[in-house]
Amino acid sequence: MAADSSYIFDDLKSLISKGKGATYVEARYQSRVTNEIAFSNGELERIRNAVNSGCGIRVLVDGCWGFSGTSNVSKSALQESLVDAISAAKALAFTKKNKVKGLAESRLAKGLFKTKVNGDLDSIDIEQKVKITKDSEEQARKYSSTIKSASCLYHEILDHKIILNTDGSEVELFDSKPEFNVISVAREGVKSSSASEGVGVTGGWDDLFYSRDHLDYATQASHKAVKLLYAKHVIGERTNVILDPGMVGLISHEAIGHMVEADFVLSGSAVKDMIGKRVASELVNLVDSGSGIASGRSRRGSNSSNSKSISSNNSTHSSSYTNMPDAAGTIQVDDEGVLAGETVIVKNGILSSFLHNRETAYLFDTAPTGNARAFEYNDEPLIRMRNTFIESGNDKVDEMISETKHGYLIKGARNGQADANGEFMFGFQEIYAIEKGEVRDLMQGASVSGNAFDVLKSVDMVGLDFDFDIGTGYCGKFQPAKVDGGGPHIRCTAIVGGLQ
Amino acid sequence: MRKAQENGAQEAEAYAVSNKEAEVFIENNDLKQSKSDKTDAVGIRVFLNKALGFSSVNTFQRKYVEQAVLKAIKLAKISPADKFNSMPDIANISNSESRTSNANNGQKLDGIYDKNAETVSPSEVINMAADMLDSATSFDERVSVDSGNFASSVISHVLLNSNGVSAKEMITLFNWSIMGMAIDGPETSNFDFQFGGTHYVKGINVRSTAREFAQTVVNSLRPQKVDSFKGQALLNPSAINEIIQEVIAYSINSQIVQKESSQFGGKIGESVSSDLLTLEDDATNIDGLAASSFDREGIPHRRNVIIEKGILKTYIYNTYTSNKDDKYTTGNAGGSAKHPPSVSTTNMIVKADVSDIHELIKGITQGILINRFSGNVNPVNGDFSGVVKGGQYIKNGEIQYPVKELMMAGNVFAALKNIIGVSKETKIMSDAILPYIAFDNISFTAG
Repeated sequence: MAADSSYIFDDLKSLISKGKGATYVEARYQSRVTNEIAFSNGELERIRNAVNSGCGIRVLVDGCWGFSGTSNVSKSALQESLVDAISAAKALAFTKKNKVKGLAESRLAKGLFKTKVNGDLDSIDIEQKVKITKDSEEQARKYSSTIKSASCLYHEILDHKIILNTDGSEVELFDSKPEFNVISVAREGVKSSSASEGVGVTGGWDDLFYSRDHLDYATQASHKAVKLLYAKHVIGERTNVILDPGMVGLISHEAIGHMVEADFVLSGSAVKDMIGKRVASELVNLVDSGSGIASGRSRRGSNSSNSKSISSNNSTHSSSYTNMPDAAGTIQVDDEGVLAGETVIVKNGILSSFLHNRETAYLFDTAPTGNARAFEYNDEPLIRMRNTFIESGNDKVDEMISETKHGYLIKGARNGQADANGEFMFGFQEIYAIEKGEVRDLMQGASVSGNAFDVLKSVDMVGLDFDFDIGTGYCGKFQPAKVDGGGPHIRCTAIVGGLQ
Repeated sequence: MRKAQENGAQEAEAYAVSNKEAEVFIENNDLKQSKSDKTDAVGIRVFLNKALGFSSVNTFQRKYVEQAVLKAIKLAKISPADKFNSMPDIANISNSESRTSNANNGQKLDGIYDKNAETVSPSEVINMAADMLDSATSFDERVSVDSGNFASSVISHVLLNSNGVSAKEMITLFNWSIMGMAIDGPETSNFDFQFGGTHYVKGINVRSTAREFAQTVVNSLRPQKVDSFKGQALLNPSAINEIIQEVIAYSINSQIVQKESSQFGGKIGESVSSDLLTLEDDATNIDGLAASSFDREGIPHRRNVIIEKGILKTYIYNTYTSNKDDKYTTGNAGGSAKHPPSVSTTNMIVKADVSDIHELIKGITQGILINRFSGNVNPVNGDFSGVVKGGQYIKNGEIQYPVKELMMAGNVFAALKNIIGVSKETKIMSDAILPYIAFDNISFTAG
C-alpha cells in the first residue's frame, strides 16, 4: 500500500538485484489517489475517493516478458511477485517465436520529478471542489428553460511513482492531472441536443481554471446546446474543412499518431516504409511531446520551441518559464524510466520518426522516445501518445475563412478512432457552412473521416494561433491513458458524414 | 461497517472483489507477455444523515480499510442530504423478488463457476493464446495480428450492508480478443476486432474467433467505392452493440429518464420499435459474460423484459432511482468496487428471430452489410454518424464486393421503427447477446 518513499525505494532497489535468471528487471511502484464529484440536475450523483496502490514487476527472461503485480509491498510480497513474473516469462519460452534481443540504452532517467503545480490539489478543501461542481451544474441548467438537464464532473488523478530497473533508471515522480467537464442537454418537443465544454490539464487547481472560470464552461455548454437544438443536419460530402485546435489535436492523434506507434508499425501500419517520405503537405510539422504549454507554440508568442528542459542527475525539475498550464498528456519520465522529450513525427510534411518504447527503439536502432506508459501499477507499459499537435504556421484565421468559397468550419472535438489502412474518423459538436468566404448557419455535429495521408497532404493553410484542447477523457488501447492534442486552425479536404 | 456506524453513519455497505488472473498478450504476430496478477478492491459506501460518502482501497488489510471508512465518512459530512439515499434491506429483497416471476430467489446461479478453471495452468493459458494466433495467421498468409489477449480469471465478490443484506459468490471467466488486418502488397485492409468469452473451460473456442477475424479482414481486401445512396443496412452484432445497444441502454436507464434526457421518457406501454424487436436485460443468463447472482447492492438478479415485440415494458432501476419513482428496484445497480452503485445494464439480450443471415441478405435490394462501425453515436437524440468498416455492398439480394471510404448516418430511434429483419444467429459480447439486424432508410455517403 501507500508506503514511505525511502523504505520502498530501498526495498525495490534490493529486489531488482535478486531476479534469478532474468536479464532485466523493472519495478514500478505507483500509488494513485482518484477523487471525483459529479452533480446532475441539482443532485449529487456521485462522490468518490479511490486509492489504488502497489508495485508492477516486469522481467525479461531468455527474451520473453513476464509481469506480475502486487498491492502488498512488503519485502516478502514483492519477492513473491518477482518469482511469479519470472516463472510467467519462463513459461513463454517454448511458444514465443521472436525473442527480445535487447533494449535501447539511452535517455534513462535518474532523479526526482514533480509536476509543476499552481494550487496544490491536496490543499484545496473538498468542500470547495464540491461547491464549484454544484454551482457549475446549476449555472448550466438555469441558462435557459430549454435546458432540461445538465451535469458537471470534477475528476482528479494524483500519482506518486518510483521506477527502478536493472539498466540504471532510478526515478521518483509526482503527478497531478485534474479535469472538469460540463454537459448540457436541451429539449423542446421531440427535438433534443447536447453539448459539452471542459478542460483537462497537468497541474493544480489554478492551472485547471487558468484560462476560464468554472462557470464559463457551464454557460458555454448550455449556449451551444440551445443553438444546436434547431440546427439542421449537414449533407454529407467531401469538401474543404477548417478545423479548430481541438479538431487538429484529434486529427494529429488519430490520423498520424496511432499509425506511428512502433508496435503497430511492426505489425504492418500503412506508414511502415515511409520514414523520409512525404506523408503531408510541406506546411505540416507534427510533434508528440512529453510537455505541452500552449503559449510557447504560437507563432504570435515569443518562442515556438520546446519551453521545458528536463533535468536529470538527482535534481528537482521545475519550470520558471510561465504560469500557463501544462497539457493533460504531459509526462516527464515514462513508465520504463526513460526521459520523455519531444519527438518530431512529421517535418515539413516528411515522416521523420516513429514513437518507441525501449524494445522497438532497439529494433529500429534508434533512441527511445519516452512513450512507454502504463495506467495503473498492475498494467504493463505500452506505447502511448502524450501531447500530439501540429505546429502553428503563418495564416490568419480570418483569412482562412474569407478565402474559402465553399466548405465548413468544424469545432468541438468528440471522440475519434484510427484504422490500419490510414482511414481515420472523428466526431465533432458544431459545424458551420462557409459560403463565399463567410461563415453561415450552425448545423448539427456529425463526423469527419478520410485517409490520413490524403487529408494531411491537402492541408493548404496553417493558422498563427495555437491551443491544446482534447485534455478531457482518455485514449484507449487495452488500457486508458491521459493524452492531449492541439494545434492552430488548419484548412484541408475531408469527408463530412451526413444525411443523404 | 461497524466502524462506519461508530463514526455516525446510519447505513453502510462494503462491496469487495478479489480477482486472480493469468493473462497472455499478443503483439505483432507473436506472443508478447505472460502476466499473473491478483487484485483486491473494497468499496465502502455510507449514508450519514442521508448524505453519500464513498471511498475504495485496493487491499483488505485492516488499517487501510479503516482509513477508507473514515474517508467515506468525511465525504458524507460535506455532501448534500438526499432523501432518496437508502440501501436495500431484507424486506426489499423479498419484495422485489415476489414482484417478478423470473426471480432468482436469492439462489446462486449455477454455471458461472467452473471447478475445472482452478486447474488451468499459466502454460495452458499461453497455449490458448498461441492457438488463437496460429489459427488466424495460418488461415491466410496475408493476415497480420496486431494485438490480442487471452485471460483466465477467478473472481470472488462479496456484498454486506448494515441492514443485514449479504451475498457472495465465485465466478470463473475466460475471455480473449484478436485484432489486426490483412496486408496484400501495398494494400492494407480495415482493422477487425473479434472477441469471445465464456464461464466454462469447455466453452473456450479461440479458433472460431480467430477464423472469423481472419475471414473478415481477408474479405475486406480490394474494396471498391460506391456512390452515395439511401438504402438498407444489415448490421452485424458488433455494429448493433456500438450503435443500437448504446442508445437503448441509455434510454432505458431510470437515472436518465429522471433527468428528462431519455427519448423513452413517458413511453412505458407504447411502441418504441418494430414488433420484430424483443429485448431483455438478464444477468441470470449464464451464456452472458455479465452473469452473476446479485447486483451491486446485493439485490438478486432476475430476467427483466425491457421491450416486448416493440412495446416498452420497463426502465431499469437501482435502489436510489426506484425510491424516486416509488417503484421496486429491477436489480440493475452496477459498478465496480471502486465506484458507488450506478444504474447499468447487465447482459442485454436481443431475442433471435427465425431468418438466417442468407435470408436477410436476400431481402436487401440495395444496402451494406456492416461488420464494424467507427463513429459517433449521440444517445440523447439518437443521431449516429461514422465510417463503415469491413463493409460489403449488397445489391438485389447478393453480396457484390467490399466497400471503401463509406460513411453512414441516421437516427437510432427512427431506425428501430424501420427494422426489416432479425437473424437467428447470435453472438456473445462482453455485455450482450445480439443477432444481426437489418434496417431500412439509412444514409450512406461516398468518399
